[in-house]
Amino acid sequence: MTDGTGVAGRPPAGVAGRTYPPVSFEIEPERVAAFARAIGADPNAGVPPTFAAVYGLGVTAPQLFGDAEAAVDFARLLHAEQEFVWDRHPRVGETVVSKGRVASDISRRGMRFVWFETDTTDAGGESICRSRALFVIRS
Amino acid sequence: MVTFDRKQIAAYAEASGDHNPIHLDDDFARSVGLPGLIAHGMLQMGILAVVAEEAPGGRPLRRLTCRFAGVVVPGDTVTFTAHVSGPGKLDLRVVNQRGEPVLTKAVAEYSP
Repeated sequence: MTDGTGVAGRPPAGVAGRTYPPVSFEIEPERVAAFARAIGADPNAGVPPTFAAVYGLGVTAPQLFGDAEAAVDFARLLHAEQEFVWDRHPRVGETVVSKGRVASDISRRGMRFVWFETDTTDAGGESICRSRALFVIRS
Repeated sequence: MVTFDRKQIAAYAEASGDHNPIHLDDDFARSVGLPGLIAHGMLQMGILAVVAEEAPGGRPLRRLTCRFAGVVVPGDTVTFTAHVSGPGKLDLRVVNQRGEPVLTKAVAEYSP
């Protein structure tokens, strides 16, 4: 059906508005250096900006994927679009906290479009990064 | 210009924690309709950030966005070009060796 109903466990309207509990992540130096090397960045130049995919989206997306009610079929999922906005970049050694939420969940013509947002803050609650990921799941 | 190879893709899988088998296993990738294992979109975006930060004043980056438009397989050579489109703003063009877009709507912003 074009509105995506019929998928076991998922509310017909999708899970727009769903939020997940915050998750902490410690930004460890070896991890940062390995990531920097993998993308060709200077391993001594601080936390590469897209390490946000590890400290932010990387800890919140599994909450969405593991949510039976959200019924996100990981095998049929494509990460179609990604935006990061940084208020500041974290420092090596910091612990950051990320919260994920489903901003929208729309099904149309056999495709499901989920905009998944992640807000990452520092230990004091100050904003570090806001991520918006578009997941496209085919039926 | 970056020529992607299996070693880098595997290194990114390890460093990022994204071990989705479409990035690690040719047979698995083909079984889901891909030509073989593909590079992570986020690996390409990581390199995009490196390129954006090279612009004068490009660090610290304030915003980075892109659409993952094309599949990248080992052996593909991807060219990243940045041009200033406004104060503190870069439009980035990311294409493979056939001129096909790999990342689109690629924009970086920094403090002007």
